[in-house]
Amino acid sequence: MRTTSRGLIAALALTPLLAGCFVSGEGGGDTGADGGSTGRLRVALAVPPVQALSPYSNDATVLSKLSVAEGLTALDKDGVAAPALAKSWKQTNDTTWTFELRKASFQDGTQVTAESVVNALDHAGAAEPKPRVLSDVTLTAKADDADTVTISTKAADPVLPLRLASPALAVLSAKAFGKDGTVSPVGTGTGPFEITKLTGKSKAALDRYDGYWGGKAKAPGIDVTWIADGTARANALRGGDVDIAEWIPTAQAKLLDDKTRHEVPSVRTDSLVLNTGSGLFTDPALRGAAREAVDGSALVDSVFGGYADPAQGLFGPAVPWAADKRVEVTGRAKAATTAQVKAKTEGKTLRLATYTNRAELPEAATVLQQQLEKAGFTVKQDVREYTQMEADLLAGKYDALVFSRVTLLDTGDAVAYLASDYTSDGVYNIAGLKDAKVDEAIKSAAEEGDTTKRQQKIMAAEAQILRTDAVVPLVHEKVVQGISTDVEGVLLDPRERSLIDVDTHLK
Amino acid sequence: MSVTSVGTEAGPSRWRAGLGRLTAGASLLTAVAMLPWLSGNDPALTVLRARSADQDPTPAQLAAVRGQLGLDEGPIAHLAHWLGGLPRGDAGTSWVSGEAVLPQVTSAFAVSFTLMLGALVVTVAVAALVSARTLYLGSRRRLNRGRGATGAAILAALPKFLLASLLATVCGVWLGWFPSSGWEGPPSMVLPSLALGVPSGAMIGGLLDQSLPAAFNEPWARTWHAYGFAPNHVARHALRRTLAGVLPQLLPTVVALVGGAVAVEKIFNIPGLGRLALDAAIAQDLPPLQTATLVLVLLGTAAGLLLQALRRALLGPALRDGALPALHPPALPRGRSTRWAAAACALALLALVVAGLLRDPLHVDTAARLLPPSAAHPLGTDALGRDLLARLGHGALRTVGVALAVTAVCTVTGLLLGMAAQVGAGLTEVVSTMPAVLAGLLTTAVTGPSAWGAALAVCLVGWTPYAAQAAALLEQERASGHMLASLSFGAGPGYLLRHHLLPAVLPGVLRNALLRLPTTVLVLASLGFLGLGEQPPTAEWGRLLSENQPYVELAPWTVLGPACALVLLSVLAMSGTASGRSRARG
Repeated sequence: MRTTSRGLIAALALTPLLAGCFVSGEGGGDTGADGGSTGRLRVALAVPPVQALSPYSNDATVLSKLSVAEGLTALDKDGVAAPALAKSWKQTNDTTWTFELRKASFQDGTQVTAESVVNALDHAGAAEPKPRVLSDVTLTAKADDADTVTISTKAADPVLPLRLASPALAVLSAKAFGKDGTVSPVGTGTGPFEITKLTGKSKAALDRYDGYWGGKAKAPGIDVTWIADGTARANALRGGDVDIAEWIPTAQAKLLDDKTRHEVPSVRTDSLVLNTGSGLFTDPALRGAAREAVDGSALVDSVFGGYADPAQGLFGPAVPWAADKRVEVTGRAKAATTAQVKAKTEGKTLRLATYTNRAELPEAATVLQQQLEKAGFTVKQDVREYTQMEADLLAGKYDALVFSRVTLLDTGDAVAYLASDYTSDGVYNIAGLKDAKVDEAIKSAAEEGDTTKRQQKIMAAEAQILRTDAVVPLVHEKVVQGISTDVEGVLLDPRERSLIDVDTHLK
Repeated sequence: MSVTSVGTEAGPSRWRAGLGRLTAGASLLTAVAMLPWLSGNDPALTVLRARSADQDPTPAQLAAVRGQLGLDEGPIAHLAHWLGGLPRGDAGTSWVSGEAVLPQVTSAFAVSFTLMLGALVVTVAVAALVSARTLYLGSRRRLNRGRGATGAAILAALPKFLLASLLATVCGVWLGWFPSSGWEGPPSMVLPSLALGVPSGAMIGGLLDQSLPAAFNEPWARTWHAYGFAPNHVARHALRRTLAGVLPQLLPTVVALVGGAVAVEKIFNIPGLGRLALDAAIAQDLPPLQTATLVLVLLGTAAGLLLQALRRALLGPALRDGALPALHPPALPRGRSTRWAAAACALALLALVVAGLLRDPLHVDTAARLLPPSAAHPLGTDALGRDLLARLGHGALRTVGVALAVTAVCTVTGLLLGMAAQVGAGLTEVVSTMPAVLAGLLTTAVTGPSAWGAALAVCLVGWTPYAAQAAALLEQERASGHMLASLSFGAGPGYLLRHHLLPAVLPGVLRNALLRLPTTVLVLASLGFLGLGEQPPTAEWGRLLSENQPYVELAPWTVLGPACALVLLSVLAMSGTASGRSRARG
């Protein structure tokens, strides 16, 4: 007994030694309950950094959400390109654009010049693997004089200004780019907030950058905590540990106070993707039967707890122009009746896949299973973590997939999504769709330069895709942002690109 | 399988044990190193996904990642390179982030180790509380009635993640006593330590509580009492006598929490080793995964050696001199309450299953979402409006059946490896700190997703508590006087096994296995995200708990039913065997 108690004492004595291993939020000044008094904003973000906030990774959105870095352009409320570091631009010919820079400085004190813009864009173009936004275009940037940049593309790119708003193309100072290909936005952006300290994957501290061209930010700084678990995020907000918590899961939203719960329509659409390439759903009549059987609106109040809209098409209310320009779907195959379905699927099961990464999807799959079974299908689910099944999805090993997809990718332009998911040679074509009319419609939208006409053509392509029944839209998701009543001026952005800007502050 | 005394060949056996550790550690590390190539998932794709979720998986992009990481060189070259860097303190760079791995892993390890120490303190406290009554009464020789360890069984059946959710909500959010998440100082240690320590403490305490009466039944205790030694003195020595058999359980129960507390780390947002290893495993980010595995292997071995030294210190001279009588429990009459508890639990479970089987467990009714218990739905409904009673009833047979089968396999494996003391010790130490998820990943890599995969994966790692216990009990038994007597009378290994070794080991291991039954149910369900185990919407208790966990606060009844069912099962198993045994003996 004596020995054990000695061991116990030793273990207890070790504890304070190891207490040095706690994650302290130093560097950002105060943390904890008295953070409010200094006016610093405390934010809980959902997706921990994967590459030390490199703009060429998932982390890019953090840079724009917290106004750390900016590109030449930005997206306004309606998704149109607006001036950012470039105060104006014009298209000189099909493939060439000129951008006039405004007077601005990096957070390390150097000036934003045409050279620094060219340097940043060159690094983005040379990054391995290429950032998503540059995957279908090759840019060449050239400094004309100190504040004029000419950007030319290999093929005509009507959405270049939209593309440049992508956080992956943020302009960082020369200091940001390491020799080994790493990029660090710490103290190298141009935004109103400067990252001063990044603690692993758990915390970051940001201070106001007083030299910001758009004026001084109202909040003196931001303390960021990454909390991957949705319940923990909601708890942090309810317990007063943070002022803003993004992406509150629908199961937790009801627990938040009415005034702290803010819903934003999201550009994410959940749909049932049917595999047209192999298996049961090569038969258009069966696809029709599945489309008729499935009712996405049943999911809205149940699985999504009201935080979703019944699907209108591929693009939901978060894409403001979609509703007016929607084209009626015609020429669909006639749906098989229940008896026909039973006869055609004799002995075959419908393999319904979905993934666990988004909590609502497995629940949705179970509701859909019942709906499909009513229509005569025999359904078997396969639910796994996304990376565990992606290879199988792309290889067409499933008949149907409950899929949650961002419809406006980082280009802010819908064509990119349509092209990768629904054209014959699309790399993300899980539906295995090969339809000449769809290809043609998407191609013609991609080539259109005029904004209104492009939108019309996108909606025509949407109708073409829906005609094939390769995809049955279910719901348009809404995002619930938790914002304490003490905070003013938080941006509720359907594209999830902005959250805090110069005007956000504690009351 | 050696049945000769350990003391006589300490030298070679130590070598053999060392070799066993080395072989076990090396084969585990090799298996992990092969993982990205074995699994059907292209590591280039998973790494690309981890870096950038919306990236299109074009062949050019995948080729770029592959070239960057040198994936075409194959696993052997990577393993050699990684091993070569280790002496220089270089554990490579993460495939996903490109950052050095060692600092990440050491800081995560420090966090998890601190948390484990906190959990250890709670474990000791809870174990002390659970066994306090027996210790008090036994040392005063008033222990005339056995107990079914109902309290311990209830606490040990509490799912850790549920306890964590509950603590975070009640003590973190409602009462505001402690931070609900984060890792910013000693206050943030309290809730996670409680969530991890209470069930572990109940488990350890339950085992202690069950073997204490045997120690008090030994002749010395009677003699001391007759001589009028202070009860505290007797208690201390009885504890010393029994602790030696229970201590090895700390390795798979508490030390394993360093890498195996993923769920609790997630709920409390603790940047620990479990989450790091899981993230790395999912992204197939080999360098951090390998390094984390190595750290866990070293930890397991170090903790194993430490525990062994502690045991030697507790029992040293007696073990060496072969003067150790075996601990044999007295035939105490079991209390009527134990029998009543067993009967009540059996009846309640039976009623639950029969009532549940009459209902439809799969019928989704989105209008009847999260309804509280009522006449129509006696246990309420879940988030999809499915009847919880029906789901519990239909899940019972499958859940209990699979868990019992897995436990049986694990117990047998544990017994066999526990008897092969020298080789088994190293393997036990190495495997006991392995998270089940890692076993799950290795299983999916080989067999692909399957209904039996989860059971297989749990069998791969679940035997360690039994092996550790069997080895400890056997060591004592081999050092006992009557073994020597049998040996000198010319008893063969078969005779020894049947008449001395198994009787000494089986009851203890069986109790341990039954105490761990609820944990097995939960671990089986926790591998679902890898595609292992029955796919949804099949009802299964572990899944019921995990799928309803987000609704703990909004609709507590959704988890109350399954949690109570687990508790009932645990109590039934414990008290049922207790009263069964006493009847057999009496």
